[in-house]
Amino acid sequence: MRGDERTSHRAVIGLILRRLGRLVLTVMLISTVVFLTVRVIPGDPARTIAGMDAGEPAVESLRIRLGLDRPLWRQYLGWLWDTLRFDFGTSFFSQEPVLRLILDRFPLTALLAVASFLLSLLVAIPIGVIAAVKRWTVWDGLGLMFAQVGMAIPSFWLAILLLMLFSVRLGLLPLFGADSVAHWILPVVTLATERAAVLVRFVRASMVEELEKEYVLAADARGLPHLRVRFSHALRNALMPVVTIAGIQFGYLLGGAVIVEQVFSLPGLGRLFLSAIVARDFPLIQGGVVFIAVVFSLSNCAADLVSAAVNPRLRVG
Amino acid sequence: MKTTLSLALAVCTLVAAAPAFGAGGREAASAQPATLQFALSGNPNTLDPHATAGTLTFQVLRSVYDTLVEPDESGRIVPALAESWGVSADGLHWTFHLRSGVQFHNGDEFTSKDVVATFARLRDPGRASTHAAEFAAVTAVEALDRYTVQFSLERPHAPLLSALASGWSAILPQRLIANGHDFGGSPVGTGPFVFEQWMRDNRITLSRNERYWIEGQPAVARVNFNIITEVAVQVQGLLTGDLHIIDMVGPTDIARIERNPATRLDTGLSSLVMVMAINTRRPPLSDVRIRRALNHAVDKQTILDVAYAGGRPIGTFMDAGDPFALDLAHLHPHDPERARALIREAGGVNRVLDLVLPQNFEPHVRAGEMYQQMLAQAGIEAQIRLVDWSTWLSDVYGAANFDLTVIGHTGKLDPDGRFSLFETDRNYVGWSHPEIPRLLQAARLESEFAGRREYFAEIQRLLAEEVPFVFVGTNYRFIAMRETIHGFHMDGKLDTYDLRRVRFR
Repeated sequence: MRGDERTSHRAVIGLILRRLGRLVLTVMLISTVVFLTVRVIPGDPARTIAGMDAGEPAVESLRIRLGLDRPLWRQYLGWLWDTLRFDFGTSFFSQEPVLRLILDRFPLTALLAVASFLLSLLVAIPIGVIAAVKRWTVWDGLGLMFAQVGMAIPSFWLAILLLMLFSVRLGLLPLFGADSVAHWILPVVTLATERAAVLVRFVRASMVEELEKEYVLAADARGLPHLRVRFSHALRNALMPVVTIAGIQFGYLLGGAVIVEQVFSLPGLGRLFLSAIVARDFPLIQGGVVFIAVVFSLSNCAADLVSAAVNPRLRVG
Repeated sequence: MKTTLSLALAVCTLVAAAPAFGAGGREAASAQPATLQFALSGNPNTLDPHATAGTLTFQVLRSVYDTLVEPDESGRIVPALAESWGVSADGLHWTFHLRSGVQFHNGDEFTSKDVVATFARLRDPGRASTHAAEFAAVTAVEALDRYTVQFSLERPHAPLLSALASGWSAILPQRLIANGHDFGGSPVGTGPFVFEQWMRDNRITLSRNERYWIEGQPAVARVNFNIITEVAVQVQGLLTGDLHIIDMVGPTDIARIERNPATRLDTGLSSLVMVMAINTRRPPLSDVRIRRALNHAVDKQTILDVAYAGGRPIGTFMDAGDPFALDLAHLHPHDPERARALIREAGGVNRVLDLVLPQNFEPHVRAGEMYQQMLAQAGIEAQIRLVDWSTWLSDVYGAANFDLTVIGHTGKLDPDGRFSLFETDRNYVGWSHPEIPRLLQAARLESEFAGRREYFAEIQRLLAEEVPFVFVGTNYRFIAMRETIHGFHMDGKLDTYDLRRVRFR
């Protein structure tokens, strides 16, 4: 028994170490690709800062100030060396440290992602389970309709619709700004709707599969309480694949935030990175990609660990 | 289903509790609000006046800083931090007598050493300020005494005064410049409002400078520049009263805002020169007959009305409202027949033209699609290529990789800023004229309006005859505000907002 426990601890540590190694490699690879991409695509940051009024000499001296006159390999090595020391440089445009810009924005985006992630689970799991248990009834139909409509509505449109209803028509929620809890409700609902719609189908499918398994039929045959069989036995097993999917979805929530931040005027990471790309702010784009890659990898890693905790079979190997 | 219901209930409960946190704008709109809620269409890159060419930066900084001189409502240059000034007979020395008793927001007294330090910072080659070139003729900026500053020039340069009235000539405090203060994040000036806080992509807050050097100004206690990128949200915010002034009005919102008794539209000619630029290096566009044909092929008023929500047609490279502007629109009236004849005469356009559009600017894209159709009617085929703004600046404006492109050239206080683009042919349209450097130089040496107008008229005529652009027009700009707002003024050529006299009524 104790030996087993030690092996499983070791397995978990091994899993974490392997994941971390993979993370570092992934991040290096992605950020190198991005480093090269932003320099290959058209669009010169110096020209973008200088605008239409500046002459070529002014643009050239800007290029020198930004270090863009150096040969590509030197820029790359310099950037690599800095990144390894967790120095992400300063923004070309605002001249502020990239890491500070990102960390200033991260709490808002993270909160948005976590809140809408939880809300989407809170909505999707009950709807999916009821749909599965009451399969081919009107309840199932309603659940599937929610999934269909939720996925089909573009989040931009839903966001504007919610604003028009709750902020303009009813005057209950603020129209813009990010100062209080009230500002978060509509963005969270918008983001959660789309995610919940996707999750409902997974929960339902997974639950249906579970309900058709022999142990459920056997339990029913033995006369165990109908609901207990469904909610304590089948549900637990059915949620296993859902955890993995949800973990990946969490990463997408960070990406989905861009549109929502735009419509609700929220100062999150999405808008920061979007404007960095539009303006060709190389250090900020590169720092942003490294940051997102790390967060994405970590959330996937967390999902794996949760799965391992829920399902003992995954612990070994 | 039960859960959806209970979720809906939960949301409703939250919603019911929300007004407690909600924006104060709604109730405030009826009473006398302490804070002016201004909607800005984007987040400035920086608040350092020497580190950007972005208009948004100067729209905010106009309220935080002062300049030595400034444009008044008619565009005439009037005293600001400098009470008076004089030019030596040879035009090489400009002496500015500074206002005394002015304080920076940090308590420092404003003196000549601040002016000297500011222009040293602006002209520092290591800083690579985009506007440093406007001071290329300046050889020295010296403090003659505590309240007198002298600018020495290597040759007379009439546009200097306009450069000093522009946002990038804002006066910064010497002591903070010496300390390497972060002006990009927290500006400190002598202006009507004190910078409080900048929450990036969210809001910039300013409060009234109680010691401002103009008695009784500014009127409002606080200004919030709310950064709202969605035009629909700006307009809705204005209609509900959460916002008092908005800087974006969609073409479809104009009627709605005019109809609403609680809102008003502030309309005026912008200072933009809307053009379809022609790459004159590339045949057959190097032939002036083809360029004239392009000008005849375009129905300017229709383009202005449909793509740019209205405007006044122009016939040369000068915005319609400029005091130096020459009305030359009649030279190339809309005449597809004449266009076809000119093309035949020039031997035809035997290839598909590359029409590049900056996709971030919807009006230019709309205009571009209309040009394409109008050119087709004259027998010219053009293929549209959409590029993003950064690519447009580098590849089209910088590297001249295009046949035709649609853009608006922003205004300058002095025409010199517009025409210096053609001093050599190393501009994106690849056009100059041997006479232009001489005329520009003459206009710089001449200080009288009438004399300068002659030179600038000559340049405008050259441009109108050689047409390196299809000159389209100057559009109207729209700022919308609550009916209760009074005293709002826009510095025409600079596209900045003067909020000093704004008050609620």
